[in-house]
Amino acid sequence: MKHSLTIALKSQSVAIERFLRVVRHRGFDLTHLQLNMDDGQYNMAMTVDSDKPIYLLTSQLNKLVDVKHVTLQSLQQQVV
Amino acid sequence: MTGAELTIDLLAKHGVDEVFGYPGGAIMPIYDALYGAPVKHYLTRHEQGAGFAAVGYARSTGRLGVCLATSGPGATNLITALADAMMDSVPLLAITGQVPTAAIGSDAFQEIDVLGMSLSCTKHSYMVERAEDLAEILQEAMHLAQSGRPGPVLVDIPKDIQMAQVPFKPWLAVDEYLPQLDLNQVAIANQLLSEAKQPVAYVGGGVHAADAQAQLMQFLNKTQMPAVSTLKALGSVLPDYEYDLGMLGMHGGQAANLAVQECDVLVCIGARFDDRVTGNLAKFAAKANVIHLDIDAAEVGKRKPAKASLIADLKTSLPALECVVTPKAWCDHSKQMKVKHAWRYDYPGEKVFAPYLLNQLSQRMPSTSVVCCDVGQHQMWVAQHMKFSHPCNHLSSGGAGTMGFGLPAAIGAQIARKDDFVITVSGDGSIMMNIQELATIRRNNLPVKILILDNQRLGMVRQWQELFFEGRYSETNLSDNPDFVQLAAVFGIAGQTITHANQVDDAITALLNSDGPYIVHACIDDKENVWPLVPPGAANDEMMTEKAQ
Repeated sequence: MKHSLTIALKSQSVAIERFLRVVRHRGFDLTHLQLNMDDGQYNMAMTVDSDKPIYLLTSQLNKLVDVKHVTLQSLQQQVV
Repeated sequence: MTGAELTIDLLAKHGVDEVFGYPGGAIMPIYDALYGAPVKHYLTRHEQGAGFAAVGYARSTGRLGVCLATSGPGATNLITALADAMMDSVPLLAITGQVPTAAIGSDAFQEIDVLGMSLSCTKHSYMVERAEDLAEILQEAMHLAQSGRPGPVLVDIPKDIQMAQVPFKPWLAVDEYLPQLDLNQVAIANQLLSEAKQPVAYVGGGVHAADAQAQLMQFLNKTQMPAVSTLKALGSVLPDYEYDLGMLGMHGGQAANLAVQECDVLVCIGARFDDRVTGNLAKFAAKANVIHLDIDAAEVGKRKPAKASLIADLKTSLPALECVVTPKAWCDHSKQMKVKHAWRYDYPGEKVFAPYLLNQLSQRMPSTSVVCCDVGQHQMWVAQHMKFSHPCNHLSSGGAGTMGFGLPAAIGAQIARKDDFVITVSGDGSIMMNIQELATIRRNNLPVKILILDNQRLGMVRQWQELFFEGRYSETNLSDNPDFVQLAAVFGIAGQTITHANQVDDAITALLNSDGPYIVHACIDDKENVWPLVPPGAANDEMMTEKAQ
């Protein structure tokens, strides 16, 4: 099942790598990624595909120190 | 003040007075700042030894462990210890030297992308890019390692930043997200508890991480709920608790595994339904409603759904549970199972029987003793046959299962707890993985005790080859090991080899009475297996036992 997420990350070096590593490791395929740097933070729009429930990913992403917020677009709710 | 001096100064200001490490080119300024500093440095003989010593220091005290290494291979050698600390939620700070900023990305001598390597094995990691950021990063790193669910944090510091003049900037703690108890979930949990006929408390390593043993025992003493423990939780439930059923899981006791399979409410307290605990997950506690208490929301529902989730510090969530007295019939049944499936030590042979040896050692050593295990059969025998009064007294590599953990972890524990009896229980396979740390024992005259259970095999792998690979013993024969007592003697460590059951009691006496380090090399039967065993894919009530073989 595909899920669309928007994410805000601190503009720390390595933040994007750390984020994408978790996406891969937790079993989600990245099918779309858009990235902009605005107001001193990374703003990402991302679509992932997996048979696994999306909360298994969002709960892991929310633990990352560099993550400001993760919003699940399909449900229009912030997952924090 | 230079970056190197600031690093040591900040460690000291945060109460870090002992660190472990190994010097090298890119971290020389920090070692120069250590010279004569109030922070005492313990030189290990391999960076992995430094990492595990820091883990042992942290786990035996609850304090932050700190290890240092140089760039390149120094840092890569730390990685296994970081991974171990990540899996077992250990508060650890690793500081690595890096090649100078201008050389980064040029494949300079001993340059490795340590920050990149750290991503999968740290809670967080930094490379300091500007000298003016160093102070804030170090303070934040120490905070992160110990906050929430603890874990390892790495700070990689280029050599030029270590040598630069840097300002001190206080780190202002940002508003940290601390999970608050959801009162609706508390109400659901308490409703489940009030209706439970056969509840079980499933206790995990989170109790130690949260320093919540007192809250746990208060809950258990009031409810009289039967309790089972994970490997990392051993010691959290006090040994004299009437309904303590011991360890559950692949090599757990039968009473513990059967109680969980029969329970109708499973109160998971700081545990994570690890595969070594659950066996076949679909059949694990299949009749139970789960109440899950954890500070890490990502653990709730990760492996098994929860009817009620209390996401908060256990010191807050445990007292929120209503202490409903457990039905007497279930308590009595649990006690009967405990008696029926009690461990037996009446081994008929003349050889040293490891479970008996460990049980005797456990009974005779002081209750404040620290036991540090390696990984394999001996590790499971320790978990089965020794008793602990606090989880900081039983250090075992749980999630990562790292052979080579025990000896350096014991060094760290002995340095942290200088007046306590500290022993590493190892196997003839594991001990060789960090054997060089005998030199650290000698260098610091540490009274670490060593017990090697020697079956001249990689015992646990051999056991699986016997049971599941039709006796094809591929690369598990270690009968060409060195003479361990002679080897220890080279490092100035006295000891003895025992081969017969009638030597066990005197050997334990020698361990307990020795002022300095001492080694007992116990030769055991190479065919001895760990029982019971939940085979791969089976449910926890489908245990293989010795009698069934």
